[in-house]
Amino acid sequence: MEGVGRSGRVQLERVGRAARFVASTSRATRDVATWIPEATKHARILGVDSLPIALFIALFTGIVLALLASYSFTGAVPMYFVGTLVEKTITMELAPVLTGLALAGRVGANIAAELGTMRVTEQIDALETLAYDPLSYLVVPRVLAGLVMFPLVVGMAMIAGVAAGWMASNLLLDLSTQEFLRGARLFFQTFDVRYGLVKAASFGAAVTWIGCWHGLHAEGGAQGVGRAATNAVVYSAVTILVLDAFWAVTWLLGHER
Amino acid sequence: MKRANDFVVGATILVSLGAIVAGTLWMNQTDLSGRRGQQVAAFRDVGNVRVGAHVVIRGVQAGRIQSMELAPQGWVHVRMRIDAGNEMPRDPVVLLNESSLFGEWQATIMEREALPRDDDINRQIVEASGVRGVLPGATLPDIAKLTAVAGRIAGDVANVADRFHVAFDDGAAKELRASIKNVSELSALLAQTVRTQSKNLGEVAGEVSRGVDALTAASQDVKTIAQRFDSSTARGEVRQVVEDASTAARELRETSRRLLTLSGQLGQSQKSLESFLSAGDSVMSRVSRGEGTLGLLINDPGLYHRTDSLVKQLLVLATDVHKNPRRYVNVRIF
Repeated sequence: MEGVGRSGRVQLERVGRAARFVASTSRATRDVATWIPEATKHARILGVDSLPIALFIALFTGIVLALLASYSFTGAVPMYFVGTLVEKTITMELAPVLTGLALAGRVGANIAAELGTMRVTEQIDALETLAYDPLSYLVVPRVLAGLVMFPLVVGMAMIAGVAAGWMASNLLLDLSTQEFLRGARLFFQTFDVRYGLVKAASFGAAVTWIGCWHGLHAEGGAQGVGRAATNAVVYSAVTILVLDAFWAVTWLLGHER
Repeated sequence: MKRANDFVVGATILVSLGAIVAGTLWMNQTDLSGRRGQQVAAFRDVGNVRVGAHVVIRGVQAGRIQSMELAPQGWVHVRMRIDAGNEMPRDPVVLLNESSLFGEWQATIMEREALPRDDDINRQIVEASGVRGVLPGATLPDIAKLTAVAGRIAGDVANVADRFHVAFDDGAAKELRASIKNVSELSALLAQTVRTQSKNLGEVAGEVSRGVDALTAASQDVKTIAQRFDSSTARGEVRQVVEDASTAARELRETSRRLLTLSGQLGQSQKSLESFLSAGDSVMSRVSRGEGTLGLLINDPGLYHRTDSLVKQLLVLATDVHKNPRRYVNVRIF
């Protein structure tokens, strides 16, 4: 009983610390002079440099999705619904989630390892000694870069995924461009894009926050840095899936076409 | 390095934002030029149609449904965005209907005269025509209602089939087969009869045709006679004809009387002839029996030969008299 209580208290302390961390980071955004010089650098690292992997994933996802749809639509379902399925699935689900998971591995581990190394080598302590707020200098630019660049990367992934689905339909399924577009536009709404981009922004913020959190709390040398990176990836991936369900329940469920 | 980062990041943001916005507008077929028209239609119920559904004119996609809103007095106003250059039909009405079996709905703008002949649709259109400033609209039943009706019909058909199955047993099948055979024979007989009758009818028709020709000729003659009669009447010749006919009748009566007399004389002549023939017959009988001179002459060869010799000698004598008349005739006056 005592163990259960202690475990519960530890978990609540973690949640409380994480909440305080989020709140502190939010407050640190007011220190614009500190984080803005660092923002573009992290935007390039997190966003621009992540574009190739995001586009690569989206291209192959689009192709496979088109083929899978044609395989499923046998007989009664018209083939132009391949366009509908590709557009809806890529835009609303696969592009944000797959890109988020990929960037969770790349960006989350990168941030956790970088900040963890700084923590174990006492560079962060040095920053604090120099009156730099580590949150303003290290966390806020990364989180804002993730918040801004993730949707852009995901948006490009959406375009690449739908284009790849169209090419696959055209070249491999003998589905004309007009038919594919008919299906893609049949149920298309700007909400689809908004929904995907908002999800991507939330994923970006979550991945960078989690990476920063685990990096800043790394301890125990190189092993601790490695553990922090691993935890950042795992927690980011889980958080992405939880957020995906959260948005589906809170926004998609109540949305009327 | 920092400026390079700024440039790359800025360029990426701009390009990505532009691509996302452009792609969204293109997929949504957004009208940036503002040349598209708008139409509003009133419905009692919009079924399962949704914002963004196609608007179709004569089977061609001509726009999308832009919005739907509840209106006073139980109406729903559907605002449609019509693409530029699309001409509205004359006296337009709007039908909301399913465009496929997969839940797609569309708004079809058509002429009022082209509406399907359905009482419910016409009732909806007439009712919505009373709403000012909007197009009248009607909603067709969705596929679920249609399938429910189809299911009920299928159930009825199944019941009928079951009853038919009960009624149509083996005995009925045999009777039906026998009936079919009888009908076949009957039809063969009918065919034969028809062939025969058609031949007779052909002949009759030929006769009738000839009869008709004769009648036509006769009527032509009658017509001619009538014309002549008319002309004769007109020229007063009928009286002359009648008088001639009367004269002819009198002469005919006289002739008949003479003929009667003549026939009486002929009767006497006949009697005389009969008597003569009777006598001749008697003579011939006697001749045949060899009685009398002629009978002897005919029946006696010797007499015949002597007579024949006599005739020859007479011919010789006549020839000689003809050549030498002075030898036998000597005429002296003085």
